[in-house]
Amino acid sequence: MSKNEEKKLRKKAAILSAKNGIRMGIIDFLKKSMERNIFDAVLIPMRVPADDSFTYVLIRDKNLLKNAFPLPPVMSIQGGKAVSSITRLGKSNIKIAAVMRPCEIRATIELTKLGQTNLENITLIGIDCPGVLPLSDFLNNPEEGMRLFDDAVSRWDDRIMRPVCQMCDKSSMIVGDLHIGFLDAEKDSFFIISNSQKGSDVIDKLNITPQADISSWQTKVEKISEKKHKKREETFRELKSKIDGLDNLLDTFSQCISCHNCMKVCPVCYCRLCYFDSDKVKHPPEDYLERAKTLGSIRFLPDTLLFQIGRMIHMSLSCVSCGSCEDACPMSIPVAQIFSMVADETQSMFNYVSGRNLEEPLPLTTYKEDELHEMEDTHG
Amino acid sequence: MEKKIGIYICECGPNIAEKIDIDKVINAVSSLEDVKVTKRYKLLCSMDGKKFLEEEIKKHNLTHLVIAACSPKQHEQTFMGVCENAGINPYLFQLANIREQCAWVTEDKGEATEKSIRLIKAAVRRVRHHSPLEKKEIECSPDVLVIGGGIAGIHISLQLASSNRKIYLVEKTSSLGGLITNFEKIFPGMQLTSDVIKQKIYAVQKNENIEVFTESEVEEILGFFGNFEVTVRRKIDDEIVKFNVGAVVVATGATLFDPKETSQYGYGKIDDVLTSIEFEKMNLSGKISLKNGEKPRSVAIIHCVGREKKGYCSKICCMYSFKFIRYLKEKIPDVKVSNFYSDLCIPGKSYQKFYEQTKGKNIDFVRSVDIKVTKKDNKLNIEYKNERGDKKNLLVDMVILSPAIEPREDASKLAEIIGISQDEKDFFAEEHEKLGPVSTSKEGVYIVGCAQGPKDISETLVQSEAAAGKILSSLIPGRKIEPEVKVSHISESFCIGCKTCISVCSYGAITFDEKRRISVVNEVICRGCGNCVAACPSGAATIKHFTFNQLYQELREAIQ
Repeated sequence: MSKNEEKKLRKKAAILSAKNGIRMGIIDFLKKSMERNIFDAVLIPMRVPADDSFTYVLIRDKNLLKNAFPLPPVMSIQGGKAVSSITRLGKSNIKIAAVMRPCEIRATIELTKLGQTNLENITLIGIDCPGVLPLSDFLNNPEEGMRLFDDAVSRWDDRIMRPVCQMCDKSSMIVGDLHIGFLDAEKDSFFIISNSQKGSDVIDKLNITPQADISSWQTKVEKISEKKHKKREETFRELKSKIDGLDNLLDTFSQCISCHNCMKVCPVCYCRLCYFDSDKVKHPPEDYLERAKTLGSIRFLPDTLLFQIGRMIHMSLSCVSCGSCEDACPMSIPVAQIFSMVADETQSMFNYVSGRNLEEPLPLTTYKEDELHEMEDTHG
Repeated sequence: MEKKIGIYICECGPNIAEKIDIDKVINAVSSLEDVKVTKRYKLLCSMDGKKFLEEEIKKHNLTHLVIAACSPKQHEQTFMGVCENAGINPYLFQLANIREQCAWVTEDKGEATEKSIRLIKAAVRRVRHHSPLEKKEIECSPDVLVIGGGIAGIHISLQLASSNRKIYLVEKTSSLGGLITNFEKIFPGMQLTSDVIKQKIYAVQKNENIEVFTESEVEEILGFFGNFEVTVRRKIDDEIVKFNVGAVVVATGATLFDPKETSQYGYGKIDDVLTSIEFEKMNLSGKISLKNGEKPRSVAIIHCVGREKKGYCSKICCMYSFKFIRYLKEKIPDVKVSNFYSDLCIPGKSYQKFYEQTKGKNIDFVRSVDIKVTKKDNKLNIEYKNERGDKKNLLVDMVILSPAIEPREDASKLAEIIGISQDEKDFFAEEHEKLGPVSTSKEGVYIVGCAQGPKDISETLVQSEAAAGKILSSLIPGRKIEPEVKVSHISESFCIGCKTCISVCSYGAITFDEKRRISVVNEVICRGCGNCVAACPSGAATIKHFTFNQLYQELREAIQ
């Protein structure tokens, strides 16, 4: 079988009915899959009991699926972290469907390449993402937030979403085993599109006709992605003028309180112990006294920019622009936008898109003789 | 323990003295913390200089040494030796390069002096954080693995085998000898091949220091120069044999370009179109004949088959084609032989004579392009364009194709097992075309014969002897080797088990401990290249003598 034929076979699309709304339609699809033993469990966001936030829940009782929220209005937990918790030490012994946004799936794929998840018994199900609200906005008034979010999704209007979502040009990227597309499906139906043998098998086992024409959905995705890509370029242009040069960069991060929340919530910051939390960066007191003497003064806590740049060097090739860091920053530093901008540049140097697929090797682990010529002779 | 650091500045004749104000430098660095003595000397690398340093270290009871002189590439080892002789650990020493990095490149004396001061301050700061490192010696095996039992492998095995050096000769097929056992005679002397090869095979079989594995394949080679761990699978009983060697010789030979890849010669479709090796076999069997049993009255030898496609001249096809003419003339005296070639390759001092003596009656050489072989009645029709571009044709009984020499199909698999690279044509790559023709990128691994590229028997034997020389001089029975001291270390508490380091390690020095889910460095295999340190996202990998702290301390002073 040629590669093309294989791809064709894998990319099947079917229309599923959603008479009671997309959410219930997706839940029905998952329920049916559980009934047919295609999955033993579903990992999916759900509302927390206090009703003011959402979190990932691993559901084994199919009757609990009715409370699931495939598209919560906030991203309080990055899905990649959830999958890693389950499979960090090896494959899951039950078959799990993980329903996540594309950026969460991409983080999962990066983590897999880094040996932090095992996808053998996991089926990744992506979904068209309208973006999410800034976490703090939602928490101020969850009820109002929910209403605004639903309203925005119905018009596919991203103006109230997080800045990093507004400029996300991969919001409908097909990256998992299956993708749920509802951008252009009739209001009472949605597409389910397979993107791997695993995904294609699910469609086969459900006995649904895989002959839907998704071309109009694709056109719409392209149009939206293009618009968002323009927005992305615009945002980066503005951002660049604000942070260019050491002084501007220092100003941007001068509010940083060294809480390291951005690192803690980052799905691809997977280290056991962050280097910047370790003793290796805690210098002896005389060191600081000496720096104060040479420089005239020294701020405490010191080295906040070192942390930001260090983290950037460590993870920018795997950054999926999910925005978790920005949500977590108590000082409202546009961390995610800055990191996204740098990530786009570093990844494009290697023609790499983080989490695009499992087969592409991590850039730092491969050597090509013919690359990075622009980096040669920089010292003249 | 109290630190006593000594700083010695080398004048390097006029090299440093003229471009740097050494007295000013001494002034600036002599009061640094823990510095006990600061002196200048005219040439530290001289015999007198080394003696002076040794005496100084002893006299002042120095614990650490900083020398400001030339590039570490030039004299780091020299001064480390001085430390050893004087009784301090050679790693408690740091060399500041004020010649190449200051005196030679900075025009302004004031600037060069300032820069030197910084570099020396940085070195002093760094050396205070150095740790003593202990040298290790490890046993090494003088034994050698030879892969491939053709003429190249046989010859080198015989060169190397001795009472204190065992040779393991691994051959894929069921018998030794390789390609040349198909040849009746070898050019240009036209001696009987059997005289040459049988004798050698017999010598191998009789030699008790050569262990021959036929119908066997190398499955795994781990380790490094002096200590390779080899796993061989014997196909006949599927048995795994493991042994240790100090060096590996790749003598796996080559194969022929398959003329089926191009339809123009009708090979595989039309009877009586043979490849050179098929003709050798037919000739060796004693009967040159057509499919119908008759003797051919006319034969065409087509040279350069696949040459254009491969993009290189295979060097030996012209010569063996002339040999074929000799075979034919001996057995069918009135046969007519036509050679179709694009360029003749007759190099060296004896080949021209062979060619001249082969030419003669009923033997044609036709320079031609666009050759096509088809069946016409009972004959083979060769259509071609001659040198002037005219379309011509010739009817013959038999066609012999002389195809290009190409790497064996399994070469890339073996390259991966051994950890050596292949060139753009997929032959095993030598370290340097001219300066390292039998070495490879991996120390202790050598390539000989056609595995490295097309060559005739004498060239092959030259290579075998060259590689034997390399091994004999570097792998001396009883002598130990010193592995790298500045090796990498992976911290258990930092490592998250992403295996990134494993994929960037060029030496196979890192393994994964599945139980603890962390990477572990084998310090004997590690060469201290630092790839893992650079790639480790968790800061778990560090390299001795280049720790984060040492670099940080050095940098802080240098860029202050």
